[in-house]
Amino acid sequence: MGLRGQRAVTISNGHAVRFLVTSIGGSSVALPAHWVRGIVTPASAGPDGLVAWAGMQYERTDLAARLKIISGGLSHDTRLILYGNEEKARSFAVDKVLGLLDVERALICPLPPQFRGQERERLLGFFVDPSFVALIANPFWALELPLRPQALEIFAIRSSERSPSEAESIHLPAVAMDEALSMSTGPVS
Amino acid sequence: MLRGQLRRQSQGTAGSATHARVQNMVVFSVAGQRLAARTEEIGGVLPWPGTTPVPSDTPLVTALVRYEESCLPVFDLAAKFNRTVREEDSLCLIVKHVDGPLAICIDAQVPSLHVVPRSELQYQSGLDPDIAGSCVAGDEQLPLINLATLGVASRRST
Repeated sequence: MGLRGQRAVTISNGHAVRFLVTSIGGSSVALPAHWVRGIVTPASAGPDGLVAWAGMQYERTDLAARLKIISGGLSHDTRLILYGNEEKARSFAVDKVLGLLDVERALICPLPPQFRGQERERLLGFFVDPSFVALIANPFWALELPLRPQALEIFAIRSSERSPSEAESIHLPAVAMDEALSMSTGPVS
Repeated sequence: MLRGQLRRQSQGTAGSATHARVQNMVVFSVAGQRLAARTEEIGGVLPWPGTTPVPSDTPLVTALVRYEESCLPVFDLAAKFNRTVREEDSLCLIVKHVDGPLAICIDAQVPSLHVVPRSELQYQSGLDPDIAGSCVAGDEQLPLINLATLGVASRRST
């Protein structure tokens, strides 16, 4: 799955949520793409960990550690995700960016009730792709914002109203993603 | 593969006078630990599909397995007994848990069905609320595990 192309899990007239799917420590971790502001290489971060990009500063957070996932460590595929909304912005490292995926709302499953711990705050649920099961990180938790119920609903887009050209205009910095992808073969300092 | 046998057995015994005097049990093993469970708490047995780890704080519930169009949570029963199961040589036991279907990784040896006289069942409340007692099945004295409430009873007792 490439970043230049994006695909939908199903074609339907219902609501969908667009995710940026990443790999962290062998786990597929998805975040609502609506708050992705950019994807850069680790070299873009300053010595203090701050990333300055498009007039904004992104403070570093160790998402892998907060998710209690052991990261694969720095590699050529490591990327910093610049993530934010109007209130807060953070950057965090992922082992690899897998791409964008539109997932029909009905195919997004909550965590089963047998999961009873703090993971319910960190993870909103999961969805199943033929090649992986993606865990959905709670975007409010990722940005250390107050948690809210039914957090995914604000990210839902009506798939029947979306044409390919409209899809490109949603808040995703597609150009930045393309650049980040093209850098994937270059050295990481 | 077990579902059909369970259904036939349940149909064959339903309503009979002997039904009240016997309990249908399934005997299986987890990392070599032999266990007995009530058949009505089991939904089926499948090849082990492999897990998706979930970074979880819930004791013994730390993964998902693909099942039909979705996923089931996995209860690590081997870890409960301080054992490790070899997933590559395993089966998936689907449990009818009170909170919804649950998967358990069990040994590759196909579970066996036993009709156990209720006189051979000994219910007792011990330190482990997940263990209902013991039973004799096929000349073996086995722990009787409460699959339907795995983890639930333990949580209440702590």
